[in-house]
Amino acid sequence: MENLNIEQTKFTPSIVFDIQKCLLEIKGDSLPENTTEFYKPLMESLLQFLQTPQNNITVNLELTYFNSSSSKFLYDFFDLFVEKNNGTDVVINWFYDEEDENMEEAGEDFQEDFEDLKFNVLVK
Amino acid sequence: MIDSELKLLQEIEDLKSQFNSTIDGLTKDLKRNYKTISRSDKTQRREFLKLLELNKELEDTQKEVIFTMGSIGESRSKETGNHVKRVAQYSKILALHYGLEEDEAEMLKQASPMHDIGKVAVPDSILNKPARFTPEEFKEMQKHAELGYDMLKHSERFLLKMAAIVAYEHHEKWDGTGYPRGLKEEEIHIYGRITALADVFDALGSDRVYKKAWSNEKIYQLFKEERGKHFDPKLVDIFFENLDQFLEVQKTFKD
Repeated sequence: MENLNIEQTKFTPSIVFDIQKCLLEIKGDSLPENTTEFYKPLMESLLQFLQTPQNNITVNLELTYFNSSSSKFLYDFFDLFVEKNNGTDVVINWFYDEEDENMEEAGEDFQEDFEDLKFNVLVK
Repeated sequence: MIDSELKLLQEIEDLKSQFNSTIDGLTKDLKRNYKTISRSDKTQRREFLKLLELNKELEDTQKEVIFTMGSIGESRSKETGNHVKRVAQYSKILALHYGLEEDEAEMLKQASPMHDIGKVAVPDSILNKPARFTPEEFKEMQKHAELGYDMLKHSERFLLKMAAIVAYEHHEKWDGTGYPRGLKEEEIHIYGRITALADVFDALGSDRVYKKAWSNEKIYQLFKEERGKHFDPKLVDIFFENLDQFLEVQKTFKD
């Protein structure tokens, strides 16, 4: 399985998925022209990763802005950890800037919706 | 129960659980959609407010910079800051009655105070001479119109383009005897014609190093004489028809 390294652009976040370190990081703004298309490589890698049982993964999310279709993606993304878990130990860290109410509230919303996940909402 | 009934019952149970799980899925999706929309509405509202704030900041900065530039031009020739304010107000009144849209009139109000910005490049000895100019000095003084235009003409900003026109043409006269280009009538841009009247009305009514302030009656007399000579006749008519508004400004922003 190969690592994933997608660079940040004006409208899309950076995605770094380090398989050896079991670390996935998404940082930046998410307003892709085609959200499903943009996150497809990530969803595919993740699905493959989760097929290996007894794995663990840390997901660090540092989003600063995301549009509605990215919100839909995030639901699907978190669903994957719940539904295709295969015994993987998952920790999700949602980081937000202290002054960013939007991202703080979004993090808390997701935390509430995914109470089965270890979902931390943290100040950067 | 016979087998067929048991089978039917089983099928109904299966359908029921399928139905329930479909409903659960749909409910979950609907709730998520609702949350997404509510959150995005909230975000949009915040972003919108932020944009309004930034836009205001931008406009205020622009106004301040332009007003300051105008004041610099005036201060070089020992005129008071209120001259700039009054010329601005007179210009807007004239613009509105002439038929310009509110937006454009407001912009002219902001741009007209820059008419003398070219004076920053005219020597003090000429600017502040407490006596009549020699022909050479007058020529030097006249350069401020073109100098101002040269300073502002490169800008892409509408407001500064407007100010460039004002600087260039505010000493042109309706009958073609003004400077720097000797344009006449509607060859002179309306912004130039308006600022010319506003500037002269205020300059005559104020003390200067080389003269005392004129009385309003004396100014009215001159305006009647200069209707169609120095000034656009339509603007002179507007001036007399709305005299109360001009006098109100004169009172509000007196030195």
